Amino acid sequence: MDASAAIATNGLTRSFPSGVAVDDVTFSLPAGEVLALLGPNGAGKTTTVRLLDGVLQPDRGSARVLGLDPFTQGHEVRQRTGVLTENAGLDDRLTARENLLASARLRGWRGPAAGRTVMELLERFEMADRADDLTQGFSTGQRKRIALARSLLGDPELLFLDEPTAGLDPTATRDVAELIRTLTEGDGRTVVLATHFLAEAGALADRMAVLHRGRLVAFGRPDELAADLWAGMGAEVTLDAMADGPMIAALRAVDGVLDASPSASGAALRIRDRSVLPALSQAVVAAGGRLYGLSGQPPSLEDVYYEIEQRAQADHLAAIASNGVQP
Amino acid sequence: MSHDAERVQSSPEGLDWYAIGAVVRKDLTAVRRSKAVLLPMLIVPSLMLVLLPAAIGFAASRAEPVDVTRFLDSLPAGIADPILVLPESEQLIVLVMGYLLAPLFLIVPLMVSAVLAADAFAGEKERRTLETLLHLPIRDRDLYVAKMLVSYAPAVAVSWIGFLLFALVANGVSWSVMHRVFVPTQLWAVMIVWISPAVAGVGLGVMVRVSAWARTTQDANQLGGAVILPLIFLAMGQATGLLLVDPLVAIAIGAVLWVVAAVLVITGSRRFTRDRLASRT
Repeated sequence: MDASAAIATNGLTRSFPSGVAVDDVTFSLPAGEVLALLGPNGAGKTTTVRLLDGVLQPDRGSARVLGLDPFTQGHEVRQRTGVLTENAGLDDRLTARENLLASARLRGWRGPAAGRTVMELLERFEMADRADDLTQGFSTGQRKRIALARSLLGDPELLFLDEPTAGLDPTATRDVAELIRTLTEGDGRTVVLATHFLAEAGALADRMAVLHRGRLVAFGRPDELAADLWAGMGAEVTLDAMADGPMIAALRAVDGVLDASPSASGAALRIRDRSVLPALSQAVVAAGGRLYGLSGQPPSLEDVYYEIEQRAQADHLAAIASNGVQP
Repeated sequence: MSHDAERVQSSPEGLDWYAIGAVVRKDLTAVRRSKAVLLPMLIVPSLMLVLLPAAIGFAASRAEPVDVTRFLDSLPAGIADPILVLPESEQLIVLVMGYLLAPLFLIVPLMVSAVLAADAFAGEKERRTLETLLHLPIRDRDLYVAKMLVSYAPAVAVSWIGFLLFALVANGVSWSVMHRVFVPTQLWAVMIVWISPAVAGVGLGVMVRVSAWARTTQDANQLGGAVILPLIFLAMGQATGLLLVDPLVAIAIGAVLWVVAAVLVITGSRRFTRDRLASRT
């Protein structure tokens, strides 16, 4: 394992009576990076976070988190991490201030310093005016803000954000995503963002890890993973109508075009790289077409995720079929 | 964060009383605002330790003297003789207030500790606050001690305050007949100081086990009812006997209850791990 990494795991495995939740997961995340931990519900994201924070013990495998073993030094790990759980986890019988104060005291703040720290965070998250209100009446977005504030109480070196926008309406999702963006920029904090909302992951993550039925099926930078998945990049040619046969043939004849097919707005292509784009415009004009737009489309994190997930699911079904078991 | 210099990291040795205090403070604040927890804690002791003795004492002190000699003859001489030497007008009051109401008193620590333990352990799951707590830097043993204290200390406090009120009511409503303070008796003292805290410990130990399996406070109370209610009836039966024997026997039976409570609490602590708790959320 890489001792300098913020997180390094080796063969991490954990089962429950219902089945294997995390299966032989090995990866290494450099300090200061944002990792998007992706996968459908039940893929093992939350269990992975719990393992890395020393809340769960593994059946097999090992891990180092901030240079510590979370399974024997869980308390020390948790002193240096912050966690936003999927549910905000606020006690509705307490005020926002009281909810945070209890956590601040557990993180070692004593006396008036605990109160000052809590108020600074409530102000930062624009909840200071609700500090003395019971959290019972708070909206989901407000609860997330309080929970986010709480996750920062220890000024953690490593932040786990588990489904931070789950259950939020679009406006609150945008607000919380914006808050997370501020947490991930500039201060060298390592962040693990467990989510199935790909837009926020795509906007924030340096690397992505894709879990499928507890197994890590992909880990790396989105562009590197895309390069492994597909040759070249996508391109969209916008015409006055769907490209006909001669137009598709003209596009395919351009050096560097790997594939071309008609689309609703013209033609969808796969090309070697963006240097092919100028030749495409010339080919459209030469073929008598009316060119309205031309754009290269490097695969998004979303494209990469769906492709990986699709292939993982196909592999899973193939494995079941080869073993003669019904899925 | 600007106040880092004012942070203290807990020592790995011994209990972290500051962390324990933080959880206790938080939970007691929450309990204070929870009608579902607070009402049973106040209503049941008020009924049993204030209203019931007040009504009985009021009636007994105004009724014609009742002959309880035949009943007292069936009791051990050590208990019956001190009552038989009293004036006939005092015998019923001393028998009821000094002895027969005592079993009811054991229900209070049992019930209060059970209600609070269900809230402290299963309630965290129900409110979905447990996972957040598990991700905070508090050691398993400190969290366990905090949760035990939150459930145990108020149970004993409510019992003792309840008894104080009971003593005031019993002596007050009977003053016109007794003209002296007659509660607490020696056996009451053993009950309050020795047996009642042990009974609270037993209730707590049972509810910690039950709460580990229950998903909600209601589940825990229902499951606990299957165990706790029989215990209550058993306690009532035993307490009746306890108070009618020698105080030394009462002390011995109290010791047995302490051992049972200790076994339940210690074995509960071994099962109280983050891994187990997180696996069941």
